[in-house]
Formats: sequence, structure tokens, C-alpha cells
Amino acid sequence: MKPGLKVGLIGGGAMGSTHAEAYRVIENAELVAIADLIPERAQAIASKTGATIRSANEIIGDPSIDVIDVCVPTFLHRDFVVKAAEAGKHVFCEKPMARSLKEAEEMKAACDKAGVKLAIGHVVRFFPEYISAYHKVKNDQIGDVAVVRTTRGGFALPTAWNDWYANYEWSGGLVLDMIIHDFDYLRWLLGPVERVFAKSTLGRDYNRLEYALVTLKFKSGAIAHVEGSWVNSGGFHTRFEMAGTKGLIDYDSRQTSPIKLTVNRRDGTPGVPVPTGAWEESPYTTELRNFINVLDGKEGIVVDGNEGYESLRIALAALESIETGKAVLL
Amino acid sequence: MKVGMISFAHVHAGAYASALNGIPHVEFAGIYDEDEARGAEAAEKYGVAHFKSLDEMLASDIEAVVICSTNADHCHYTVKAAEAKKHVLVEKPIATTIEDAKQMIEACKKHNVKLQIAFPVRYMPAMVEAKRIVQSGQLGRILAIKGTNNGSMPGGWFVEKDKSGGGAVMDHTVHVVDIIRWMLGLEFEEIYAEYDRLIYDIPSEDCGMLTMELTGNVFATLDTSWNRPKSYPTWGGVTLTLIGTSGVLEMDAFGQYYNVYRDEATKAEWANFGGNMDYILVKDFVDACINDKPVKITGEDGLRALEVALAAYESGRIHQPVKIEDIR
Ligand SMILES: NC(=O)c1ccc[n+]([C@@H]2O[C@H](COP(=O)([O-])OP(=O)(O)OC[C@H]3O[C@@H](n4cnc5c(N)ncnc54)[C@H](O)[C@@H]3O)[C@@H](O)[C@H]2O)c1
Repeated sequence: MKPGLKVGLIGGGAMGSTHAEAYRVIENAELVAIADLIPERAQAIASKTGATIRSANEIIGDPSIDVIDVCVPTFLHRDFVVKAAEAGKHVFCEKPMARSLKEAEEMKAACDKAGVKLAIGHVVRFFPEYISAYHKVKNDQIGDVAVVRTTRGGFALPTAWNDWYANYEWSGGLVLDMIIHDFDYLRWLLGPVERVFAKSTLGRDYNRLEYALVTLKFKSGAIAHVEGSWVNSGGFHTRFEMAGTKGLIDYDSRQTSPIKLTVNRRDGTPGVPVPTGAWEESPYTTELRNFINVLDGKEGIVVDGNEGYESLRIALAALESIETGKAVLL
Repeated sequence: MKVGMISFAHVHAGAYASALNGIPHVEFAGIYDEDEARGAEAAEKYGVAHFKSLDEMLASDIEAVVICSTNADHCHYTVKAAEAKKHVLVEKPIATTIEDAKQMIEACKKHNVKLQIAFPVRYMPAMVEAKRIVQSGQLGRILAIKGTNNGSMPGGWFVEKDKSGGGAVMDHTVHVVDIIRWMLGLEFEEIYAEYDRLIYDIPSEDCGMLTMELTGNVFATLDTSWNRPKSYPTWGGVTLTLIGTSGVLEMDAFGQYYNVYRDEATKAEWANFGGNMDYILVKDFVDACINDKPVKITGEDGLRALEVALAAYESGRIHQPVKIEDIR
């Protein structure tokens, strides 16, 4: 058995299995238990990591476990996070924090009350290109940021457990599920958002093709255009362009990957595509390592519940704008 | 056919002048410019007559004029040319107000002369090919559109509202609006805009971001910002992404280029080989005049594009979407 914190994982789908991989290389944490409603998924993770297969309630009730990692679909985050906090566990919860602000408030309150730490999986803050650009801007290399454009997606609507991504009540669709990554990153970089205006194919003739364009006006003055796409345009990719008073930076994952691989498959890939890359360490690992280190009394960067909540507010404002056709003030 | 040019205020004047000199059945007959020195210099450069008075040029046997004045002067010059029975090719945007645009359209109709707006992007080979792909039906039904028309900050009268009608929004809304109308046959119904002066110390806005509702349940965004720094490899560009029910089309109108790294330049450069759209535009206008055919880009096309820019300004003032019909 490894020394360090004992982690129980709830949900072993696309994200859960990514997290399970991460704990294998994080020295001061051990994945001891996995719960998933699909036995084969739990089995796959258990046989790779040595974790025992148990129910979610058993894991949360186990006094020897320190940290609960919540990787179930979004609409279930609140229930598991609140239960885990009440059982005195620290919690890592995948983004988006919750499906509604009310749920997110309950999660924050439960963690505050129990005195446990809560981290939200805004992993883009741990991607090397986004970190590098963050520092480029903060070091005043392009001056004050004026206009930002971001892109995320380019793959078909992910098929996952119970087709939950396609269920708007469960996932919040593309805007809440995916481009919240960009909202969070931009808020980290540029500060609070003042106004949101958004359009989406949602509620028009959606037919499993979701595409959204969101404009954010920041209190700093900056204007951002955020594009999200669950329409296949060659597979998952990300882009950003930031223009400032002294220069401009732009990035396109399709043009800058040091390795290009194409594998022809007949069946299509199930599950949400999780980015891979030529990394020193997967950003998902870095993210969890930071949280574990903080729990372990060391230094680390954690996107906490308040941060997760603020980014959630932007995404929900965008959904409101899509629904009402009006600009939404934050 | 003899053609004259009115005003070299706009930076595109040189490209049209070169085009006029290159078209076989055109005689570039002369230049009038309200700035006499600028007119004399241009006349010398292109080897044509310099008219010191507009009336003199309009009284000559030219049959058409190309107008490259400030946006605010388009109306005055177009109406005068129409009254003198000269066909008109006028730089975009058609005008700075709806009243002016309507007056121009009326005058040309009344005097039975042609009025074409200079939207050269329609003639770019990449755009012609894109339209062919759209019409082939491969994309299915169009759901959404993402456009950009970014550029460097032009300075000069472009930032003075009384001459240009606005800033980055006025300058860079109309091209993409026209391309969308032409390529997809859609009309613009409601406009939301965020714009601001964020980069340069100028009187007008330098950044603009429009979100638009179109006919056919389609939405679009358009980035009009003058945000290309001096070190950028080129002046800017036009891009358009179409999201269809059965395909996605990504277009970069100036995407036919190669990289150039010269020690004498202080930056990397993009050398474009995408064809001379200004030449094709002017030639098409001249052909319409000679053969008495309808022009491809009408005054109404210019007016529709202008309406979008004007609605964007109104939206930016009230921070809510504005219906086009409400500003007509
Ligand atoms: N940070 C990122 O980049 C990223 C990427 C993808 C997904 N996510 C987020 O991670 C979360 C999970 O997404 P996913 O793609 O892994 O979904 P998924 O459908 O692949 O996996 C979810 C798993 O949860 C299991 N599950 C559902 N209810 C359960 C319960 N009551 N007890 C135990 N297991 C249960 C399902 O059986 C399934 O295996 C979502 O909130 C999603 O938004 C984040």
C-alpha cells in the first residue's frame, strides 16, 4: 500500500478512468475504491489500479477514506458531494460544479460546514498552452487584453452513460458542459464578467447537433467570443486568439501538435473524447496532484468551490440568454 | 469605355486605378479629387488626366465613375455623377446613413444609370468555390455562421465618425454581411453588438463583436475588430465558418498564401496568391455597363449591409438586441 491519502472514486466513465490513471502516478495518494453502476467499468479500473469495487454509499461511509472523487454525470454531482462532505471527506468534483446555482450553493455550504476542501475540475487551467498564454498576458507581453476568441469542440455529441450528454436537464448541453472550460479560463485571466449574450442551435432544430456562440463583456472592458461545437469538424480541437494593446497571440491545436495520428475505425468512438498530448504529465494528473498536495499540507493550486460557482454563473447566464434572446447582466 | 475616378481618400483607390489601367476595353480617363495635391499625384502615378473641378470631369465623355471618397461623401458624389448620367461604382459602405443610401439608389434609378457597391470579397476565388459547395447541398441546411473580418487600425479619416460613419463596426461589418446574403440568400433580422475602444487612442471604437439573427432560424456572429498589430504577418483577413446539418465548411478568404521570412523585414509575412479580386470586381462592373446588364451588387445590397452596421451601433448603445425593421 502506498503512503498518503486514500481516495474513493465514484463514476468510472471517461473522466473517472482518466482520474484513476492519474492516481497511479501521484505518489502521495492511492485509489482504494471504485463505484460504478456498470460492473465492467468498475472492474476495468479495479484490475488496473488494485482498487476494490464497492457501492458509492459504502465508499462514502468508509472511515479510512480521506478523499472522494466525484466523476458521475453533472446532475448527480450535488448528491454525492454533499454526502461526502457530511461524512467528513474532502471532495474533488468534476466540472461543471453542478446543474444549477442552488445545487452549487448547497455543495459549498456542506463543505464549509464540514470543514472539508472542495475542488472543481477546471482542468484547462492546468493545460500547458493555456498556462503559458496566461503568463504571457500577465507578464504584459501583449498589453491590456482587448478581444479574445476561443474555440472548443469539433466532435459529435458524446454518447455516454444513459446518453446523459444529450439530456439538457442532466448535462446543460454544450454551454454548461464544455465551454464552461473557456468561461473559467477567461475569468481567471480577465476577471469578472459584466454581460453575456449567446446563441445556440439548442431549442431550434437541435437534432444532436449543438453549436453555440457566446459573447462575454468583462468588467475590464475586454470582449470575448467563445465558440463551442458538438458538430464534427475533424475531431476535438481548441483554439484561442488574444489581441491586446501591444500585440496578439493565437493558438490552434490542429496546427501545433507535435504528433499527428490518424487511426481508421469502423465503429466510431464511444464516450466523450478526452484530450491527449505529448505532455510531461497529463493536465488531469497535474490537477489532481495539486489538490492532493494541498490536502497533504504542501503547496498546490486548487480551483475551489467559489471559483467553480462563479464560472457556473457565466454558463447559466449564457443559457438564459439563449433561451430569452436577451443580454444577461451578471 | 471611358471611366473616371472621384477621390483617392480611400486606401482601395490605388487597387481600382490599377485595375482600370489593366482592363483591355477601358480607357482610364482621369481623376478628380477634392484634395487637389492628392489628385495631381495620383493622376501622375497612373498616367491619366487630372481634373481640377468635378463638374469638368462630369461634363467630359466619360461613361462611368469609381468613387473612393470618405464614406460620408459617397452620397454627394454619387448623386452628382448620376445627374450627369454616369454609371457609379462606389466603395463600401454605400453611405453612412440610411437616408443617404436611399437617395443614392433613387438618383441612379431616376437618371437610369447603374449603381454598384464595391464588395470585392464576392469575387474571391475561395468565396466563389465556397458558394458552389453550399449550392451543391453537401452541407445540408445551414444552422449557424461564424464570421470574422479583422484588420489593422487604418487611422486617418476612418476613425472620424463624421467622415466614416463609425469605427471598426462600420468598416468591417458590411463585407461579411454581404457575403452571407450572397452566398446563402439569407436576410438579417436582429443584431446584438458589443464594441469598445480598447486598443488605440482614437475617437471611434476599435473592437466590435456582432451577434445576429437571420431568416431561416439561422444565427451568426461577426468579429469586426481592428486588432491586428503591426507585427502581424498581414493586414488582416476575412473568415467564415458554416455549420450545416450534414457538414461544416471553414473558409479563409485570404487563405491562399505562403510564409515569407526576409531578414530585411522585421516580421514574418504571408504572400498571397489568391487572385486579384479588385480587378475582377471593376471588370465585372465595366462589363455590366458596356453590355447594359444588371450589376451583380446593387445599391439595395449596399443598403442591407449598412442597416446591419447601424443596428449594431444602436444595440451597443442600449446593450440589447435591435431589430433591423426598427431602424429602417
Ligand atoms: N474535465 C474534463 O475535461 C471533463 C471531460 C469529460 C467529462 N467531464 C465531466 O465529468 C463528469 C462525468 O463525465 P463522463 O464523460 O465521464 O461521463 P460517463 O457517462 O462516461 O461516465 C459517468 C459514469 O458514472 C456512472 N454512474 C452514474 N450514476 C452512478 C451512481 N449513482 N453511482 C456510481 N456510478 C454512477 C456511470 O455508470 C458512468 O460510467 C461530468 O460531470 C462531465 O461533465 C469533465
